[in-house]
Amino acid sequence: MAIELESTFSDVKMSRRTFAKATAALGAVAALGSGYASATEFTNKLIETAEAAPAPTVKMVKTICSHCAVGCGALGRVEDGELVRMEPWTDHPINAGGMCSKGGSIAEMVNSERRLKYPVKKTGGKWVRISWDEALTEIANKLKDVRSKYGPDSVMWMGSAKMTNEECYLFRKFAAFWGTNNVDHQARICHSTTVAGLANTWGFGAQTNNVNDLRHTKCFFFCGSNAAEAHPCSMQHILEAKDRGAKIVVADPRFTRTAGKADLFVRFRPGTTISLLMGICNVIVNNNWHDKTFINNRTIGFEDFWEVCKDLTPEVVEDITWAPADKIRQIARILYENKPSTVVWAMGQTQHTVGTNNIHMSAILNLILGHAAQSGGGCQPFRGHDNVQGATDMCILSHSLPSYYGLSEKAWRHWCGVWGVDYDWMLSRFENKELMGKNGFTVARWYEGVIKPESEIDQPHNLKVVFVWGHSLNSITEMKKMKEAMEKIDLIVSVDPHSTIATSLADRPDGIIALPASTVFEKEGTCTTTGRQFQWRFKVVEPKYDSRPDMEIMLELANKLGFSAEFTKNFSQYPEDVLREMNNGMRVIGMIGQTPERIKRQMENSATFTNRDTLRAEGGPCKGEYWGLPWPCWTDTHCGTPILYDSSKPVSDGGHDFRAKWGTAVPENKYNKHVGDSLLRADNPVAQSGYAYDMTGAAIDEYLAAGNPPTGRAKARIWAWNLPDPVPIPREPIESPRPDLIDKYPTYDDAPKFYRVMTEYKTFQQARRNLVDRYPIILTTGRQVEHMGGGAETRSCPYLVELQPEMYVEINPALAADIGVKHWDMVWVETLRGRCKVRAYVTERVNEKTAFMPYHWAGIFEGESYADRYPEGTAEMALGDSCNIICVDGYDRTTQMQETKACLCKVYKA
Amino acid sequence: MTTYKFLPDVDRCIKCGGCEVACKQTNHVPYGMRRIRVVTVNEGKPGEMNVPMTCMHCGDAPCIKACPREAISKREDGIVLVDKDKCIGCGYCAYACPFGAPQFEKTGVFSSKGKMDKCTYCVEPYHQKDEHGKRITREPNPRCAAFCATKALLAGDAEEISAIYRQRAAMRLQRGEIPGA
Repeated sequence: MAIELESTFSDVKMSRRTFAKATAALGAVAALGSGYASATEFTNKLIETAEAAPAPTVKMVKTICSHCAVGCGALGRVEDGELVRMEPWTDHPINAGGMCSKGGSIAEMVNSERRLKYPVKKTGGKWVRISWDEALTEIANKLKDVRSKYGPDSVMWMGSAKMTNEECYLFRKFAAFWGTNNVDHQARICHSTTVAGLANTWGFGAQTNNVNDLRHTKCFFFCGSNAAEAHPCSMQHILEAKDRGAKIVVADPRFTRTAGKADLFVRFRPGTTISLLMGICNVIVNNNWHDKTFINNRTIGFEDFWEVCKDLTPEVVEDITWAPADKIRQIARILYENKPSTVVWAMGQTQHTVGTNNIHMSAILNLILGHAAQSGGGCQPFRGHDNVQGATDMCILSHSLPSYYGLSEKAWRHWCGVWGVDYDWMLSRFENKELMGKNGFTVARWYEGVIKPESEIDQPHNLKVVFVWGHSLNSITEMKKMKEAMEKIDLIVSVDPHSTIATSLADRPDGIIALPASTVFEKEGTCTTTGRQFQWRFKVVEPKYDSRPDMEIMLELANKLGFSAEFTKNFSQYPEDVLREMNNGMRVIGMIGQTPERIKRQMENSATFTNRDTLRAEGGPCKGEYWGLPWPCWTDTHCGTPILYDSSKPVSDGGHDFRAKWGTAVPENKYNKHVGDSLLRADNPVAQSGYAYDMTGAAIDEYLAAGNPPTGRAKARIWAWNLPDPVPIPREPIESPRPDLIDKYPTYDDAPKFYRVMTEYKTFQQARRNLVDRYPIILTTGRQVEHMGGGAETRSCPYLVELQPEMYVEINPALAADIGVKHWDMVWVETLRGRCKVRAYVTERVNEKTAFMPYHWAGIFEGESYADRYPEGTAEMALGDSCNIICVDGYDRTTQMQETKACLCKVYKA
Repeated sequence: MTTYKFLPDVDRCIKCGGCEVACKQTNHVPYGMRRIRVVTVNEGKPGEMNVPMTCMHCGDAPCIKACPREAISKREDGIVLVDKDKCIGCGYCAYACPFGAPQFEKTGVFSSKGKMDKCTYCVEPYHQKDEHGKRITREPNPRCAAFCATKALLAGDAEEISAIYRQRAAMRLQRGEIPGA
C-alpha cells in the first residue's frame, strides 16, 4: 500500500462494491435528489484504486474549483507530489462530482508550461529574470519614493477575486495600512450594481438563496443570465427542478444555451431590462395577481412604483423592448401561477449604465409577487469568480472597509480596534482625513487617474504606480485609454500565475515588473460560493516553479515598507489567524461563526450532508449545520443562514428577516415623501440591534434569545430615497438605436467627481443621438463556457483551446448575407472607440440587429498581435482581439460599473 | 452479469464540455482526437439539443462485423475495444458506426488514417501499452459520466441506469404545458 491519506479525508473504510452500483448511484443522486451514500463509495473506490496502484505515492486532496462561484468540489490526484489530474468528489453536496470543461482541466492549468515561472523585469526593451528579493526591494523603493513625492494616493491597488478570503482581507487591510482608498477589484465590474441594488432594497447585496435551494423553485426567470455557459453546475439543480415540474422562462437578447432549456424564450433589446420588467409588473398588478398582504406588511413604496409602472403597458413596452406584448403577458401569468418564482441574473443585468436600477427592479418583481424571502423564491445573482462573493465581503472596494462598514470615522475606529492599531497612527498613514473618508478610484476607471490632468481628478496628484494583482485588464472597457495610461505611468507591477496582458498591453521598454503568484491549489484557505457558503481549500501541491502565494508576497512587501509589526499584530498561524481576525471584525454580515475549525470539519465530513435539498447535516459531527455556514452565522454554534430574509424559521435555525438598515422611520428626504412612515415590518416590527459595533457579542445574544435576527425585522424598500432613481425608471443606453426614445427616457446628468473623476452621461448620449445611422448594429458581450474571465489560464490550456480556439463575433445569417460574409470569415467589428478583427460566427442565436462577442480574449489589439511583448514563453496558446477595446464608455450611476451590454457597432468584411 | 452502457439524457446536456476534458485528461487523448464530443442540433433555435456522442458499446456492434482484421472485440461486460496492433486504419468501422465514434490519428504508419481509437469506458488509455509492452487494463470508471455537470450522461450497469432514466421520464410526464404558449 502506497497511499498517504490527507487529514482532508475522513478515513472511513467502506465496503467494496461494484463500480456499476456506484456510478449508477451518481445518476440516482440527480434523479432522486437524496441519499448518495453509494456515491461516497465511488470516491472511496477511487482511493482504493489508488491504494492498489504500485509505485507512486498517491493522495487525493479535497479542493474547490477556481472558476465560477458555484463552488464545485473536486479531488486533486497527487502522485509523488505532482498533480496528475482531477477526480470527481462525488459526495460534495453542491456538485456531486460534476465539473464543466474548465473545472475538469484544473490540473493542466496548475502544471501549465505557459505560467510565469520566476520574477521578471522589463528593462531596455527586454525581459530579464530577477530574484524575489531584488523585485520586492525595487518595488518597495519605488513605492517609498512616490509616497514621499506625491503621497499614498499616487498608488492604485487592484486586487483579485481569485485569492482566498484571507488574502482578500489582507489585501484590503494592506491598502489601509499603506494609506489609500485607491483599492478595488473585479466585483466593481461584475456585481457591484447587484450589491447596491439589493442592499438598498432589503439590507444585504448577496444572492438570497443558494444553488441547491433552486430545487424548490417552481419558476425560473432568467433575465440577464446564461447559466448553462457561465455557471454550468448550477444547471444540475435547475434541471432537476425542471424535471420536478418547474417552468423555465428566459428573457435575453440572445437565444442562449440556457434558452435551449426554456419553456418560454423572449428576445428583447439590450439595455431595456427595466421596461421589460415594468411591463410584466404592469400585467401582474392589473390582473390583481400581486400579493397585497406581503406588500403591506413587508414593503414600503409600492404606490410610488405603481406611479411609474402604470403607464408601461405591454404595448408600450413592446415598442421599447422588441418583446411582443402577448409574450410579456405570458411571462406574467407563468410567474404568477408557479409560486415561488425566482429571478436569476448575472452580467446581463449588472453591466449597464442603469445596472443598479435593473437589480432594484428585479427585486421589486420578486417582492410584489410575494415570492421573496423564502425557499425556492428570492433573487439569484450568480457570481462569476470562485471567490468574488468573498472578495466583495472583504471589500477590496474603494468605498468600504471589510464587511461593508464604509469609510466613516466610526468604521475606521472599529477596524483600528480589530487590528490593534491606534486610530491616529492610521490617520497618519493617509494624506489627510478627507481622503481617508473619500471613495477611491475604481477598477472601471483607474486609468483616468493617470491620463487626466491633475486639475481634473479629485485627489492631489496623478497615479504613479499600479498594482495589477490577479486582474485581467481585458475585462475592463476603454482599453485604448488604459493602454495610454499604462504607457504613461511610472511602474506597473503584475502579480499573477500568468503574465497576462498586464505585461504586454503597454508598448514601453521598461517600468514593468511581473511576479509569479501561486494558484489557489498551491496554498490553503477559504473561499465563498455565490450562495454565501464558506469552503476550505486544502493545499493540493507545493507552489510550482518559483511562484509564491499572494499572502507571502503581501507580508514580505509590508515588511519592506516598514509596517509589518502593525500589520501582523494578531497573527501567528497562517491563514487560520487571519480568518479569526475576520471573525472578530466582520460583524455587519455575521461572519462570526465561520471559524477555521468548523469549516475544515465540514469539508472532512462532506459525506454527512446527505440532504441535497436542504444542505443541512442531519447527523454526524456537523449535525444541524448548513453546508458552508452561510452568512450571517451569528455565533460559533449557529447553523448559518441558508436563505436570507426567510422569516418562516426561528433565527437559531437559520431564519432571518429584511434588515432594518435605515432606522425605524423614513427620514427627511428631498422628495418630501413618506417622512416618518415606519420602516419596520408591519406585523412584527423589530429595530436593528447595535450588533455591528458591539465587540462583546451581547447584542447578538440578546436578540437570538428573543428569537429575532440582530439585523431586525424591517420592510423592503421598493422606494429607496437615497438612490439616483428612488424607483427604477426606463433610461435609454448612452448609445441608443432609438433616437426617438432618448428625449422620453434620457440617461442621467453628467456626474462630476464620481469616484474621483468626471463621468459623462447626457453629454455623450446627446452627441451620439443619431449614431445609429452610421453604426446600425447593437453590440453585446458575454461568456463562453470553455473560458474564464480574461482567459489567461484557460486560453493557455490545450484541452480548452481545442474546444474553443478562436475569438469570434456572432452575427445573424441575414446580416452576414447583407455584408457578404460567410461563416468563419474574418470581419471587423467597429465602434466609436476602435475596431476588432475576429471570425464571423453566423448563427441565429442573435437577431439581425444584434452582434455578440465573448470577452475572454486578449493578446491581439485591433488586429495586431502582441505575442512578442510577453515575457518569453508565457503568451497564451490562443490569442484574440479584445471586445473591451470597443465597448461603450458608459458607467452605472451608483457604482461606476461599466456598460458592456449595449452599444452601437458596424460589422464588415476584413 | 454486469453489462456496461451509456445513456445520454439529452434533456439535461448543456454542452459544458466537462465530459470531453475529463476523457482527455484521464486517457491522455492527444490534441485533435476526441473519444467523446457533444454535438448540437438546431443551434440557436427552439428545439436546440445537445447530444454527447461517444462509442455506445452496442450490444450487436456493427463495427465488430465490419472490421476485416477482427481487431474489434467485445468483453463479457459489454465493453467494446480495439486492438491497435491489429488495426490497419481502413476506416470500415467508421462507415459502420451509427454514432461517428471511431477516430483516426493523422500521423503514423498509415498516415492518412492511422489506427482507430475510440472510447474504452476508461478501461484503456490512448496508448494501450505500458513501458514493458503490456496492454493496460483499468477499472471501468468512465470519468465523462462521473464529471458530468448536470448528470446528463449516465454510465453503469444497463439495468440500473435505465431505472434512473425511467424515474426522470416519469417525473417529466407530470409536467403540464404552459398555458397559452
